[in-house]
Amino acid sequence: MNWIGLKFQLKTIRRDKLCILTFLLPIIVGIAINLLGDMNLTSTAEPSFGIVQNDLTKETISWLQETGSVTVYDSTDALDIAIIDPSTQLLGVLSLGNEIRVLRSGDELQMYAVIADTLPLLYAVRNHAGKYEQTLLPPKNSNDILKPLLIVITMITAMFMGCTFNAMNILSEKEDGIVFINEILPMTGTQYVKQKIAVGFLGGVLSTVITAFVCMRLSVTQILPVLLFIILSSFIASLIGLFIGRSANGLMAGIMYIKIIMILFIAPPILFYLAAPAGGILHTLSYAFPSSATFYGLMGILNGNGALGTEIIVLIAHCFLWFLLYIMTSKRIQS
Amino acid sequence: MRGSFFALLKKDFRLMVSSKFFLLAIGSLILYSCYINLVYVKVDQEIFPVYLYDPEQVQENISADVISVYSPEELQNACEDGYSIGIDASKGTPRIIIASCGISRLDEMRHSYALSKLSSGNSRKAKIIGPNDKEMKNRREITAEFLFFELAAVGFLGLASMLFKEKQMGVIRVHAVLSVQKGAFILSKLILILFADLLFAALLTLCNLGVSAGVEVLPKVLVQAGILSMIMAMAGFFFSITLPDFKQFSLLYLVLAVFITTPVFLAGQTGVEMSWIKFHPMYHLFAAMKNAYFQAPVKNGFYYAGCLMSIFLLFLLARYGLDREMKREG
Repeated sequence: MNWIGLKFQLKTIRRDKLCILTFLLPIIVGIAINLLGDMNLTSTAEPSFGIVQNDLTKETISWLQETGSVTVYDSTDALDIAIIDPSTQLLGVLSLGNEIRVLRSGDELQMYAVIADTLPLLYAVRNHAGKYEQTLLPPKNSNDILKPLLIVITMITAMFMGCTFNAMNILSEKEDGIVFINEILPMTGTQYVKQKIAVGFLGGVLSTVITAFVCMRLSVTQILPVLLFIILSSFIASLIGLFIGRSANGLMAGIMYIKIIMILFIAPPILFYLAAPAGGILHTLSYAFPSSATFYGLMGILNGNGALGTEIIVLIAHCFLWFLLYIMTSKRIQS
Repeated sequence: MRGSFFALLKKDFRLMVSSKFFLLAIGSLILYSCYINLVYVKVDQEIFPVYLYDPEQVQENISADVISVYSPEELQNACEDGYSIGIDASKGTPRIIIASCGISRLDEMRHSYALSKLSSGNSRKAKIIGPNDKEMKNRREITAEFLFFELAAVGFLGLASMLFKEKQMGVIRVHAVLSVQKGAFILSKLILILFADLLFAALLTLCNLGVSAGVEVLPKVLVQAGILSMIMAMAGFFFSITLPDFKQFSLLYLVLAVFITTPVFLAGQTGVEMSWIKFHPMYHLFAAMKNAYFQAPVKNGFYYAGCLMSIFLLFLLARYGLDREMKREG
């Protein structure tokens, strides 16, 4: 390993504001998620009802407030506008003699549509609760799935930073003509690749470790697997950065490639995680994306799951395959 | 004069083609349309499933969508997810089993919903007052959002990439001694970006709303797309002529994307109340775009006056920037 070369690489990165910013961005998001944890996000998940002033009895209003948030409007017209507003799932509740009637806009999620359709019945049977017994089980795992999901997405993005580092670094060298200087310097291709991977890799690992430190509460036994995931995926990400740097011929094209690969890196694992049940064929196929293994592994750790063997083996296989592919293709280009 | 303007247009068009501008636009069009048609349209949240364990069949009037299970363990497993509801009718009084989802009001709602499943009454269906069904609403909503983000990015980045290339080639220096008007230099780029954006807006709308609904909203959408495209392209022109290299420019873009468009997105998508959002200029552009897609009443004259004013001001700024750059280049 040529340490002086690495030192120079780091020096150029230090001057590059874009690299510094991409380095800091996931950490900032991590801090934001941490702050978000104290904020109450639940209000968006509750049903929300809109009523008109002086229409419903006090008893009905307090019944509505038990199951959702209630907003009061001055007139039926204002209520109609609020119901139709496409960005809300508001249901309108009006009195009808001793009963209630409900207005909805027709574009709600199925859950709210069904609630709207059954609300008058719920109102009618509201006093029957005493006829039944109730068992309220405590929440099984941490009550919101959103936070671990956000944390893992941020961590995957942080790992992806290695890719951005490398791609930007190589592309700016291309633009400045340093590539040609590199060709006549006494440095082998392998040395060059090593240095470039090292820069992106170190940046990615550092950024991710800090992000993990900010937003994950890990026990001692969890530190090692998390670190392993971070190291392996940062390696892959920085390798992808090399691919982008080599194939893009301008900064603009490079940024576009990064954008596309970033979507491919982040979106499929989330989709597969939410849609494909573990053990299915789709789940197995999703391991073709290197980020899927990391995603499942980190989700497993956050949800207190111990078995991570498959994920780590898949990641190691990815590391080998991508590295081999890189070496093979670069030899072909040179010859 | 007119001849030289067309020559400028032709040159800028070739520059756009060579920077793969159109290829990228078509790529994003395909990507967005696939996402909308294959994924987003199907996004939904099902009502809580109700599971019933009733070995003796004592419960009558059970509604059809209640799922029967045949052992207590099965019932326990089914309602552990924090969303489903279990009803155990094996021991006299039925017992409603709910695993808390962490939101007390939603738990309460699930409990009442389970009660309604055990009662024989029929409910009066809610009256539908909106013009869209869920699928159409999803299509309009996401198309408006994608168009907004794409236009905010494309005009800005596209113009910058063209201008930086020209800067590198020394075109600006050449123009300082040519007799071409500075206004024409800016206008030719602007017109091309505007037409590309309008074409993109029309295609995206038609692909994702369908032809009949698409044609209906298109006039209003194109007006908003034009305004947004002009503003972003002019801002892109100003920043790319003042900043020294593309890298610094993309840094600025990153900041812009995170701090300017994200709050707008949050406010538009989730209905989260943010009182300060009305001071955010981009929010009004976004709201106007969304209103155009939902055929909501048009905004007041202040909005259009503001848009015209800012387009004019940005044009002056861009001209000033070009002037300064030409002086600097000698």
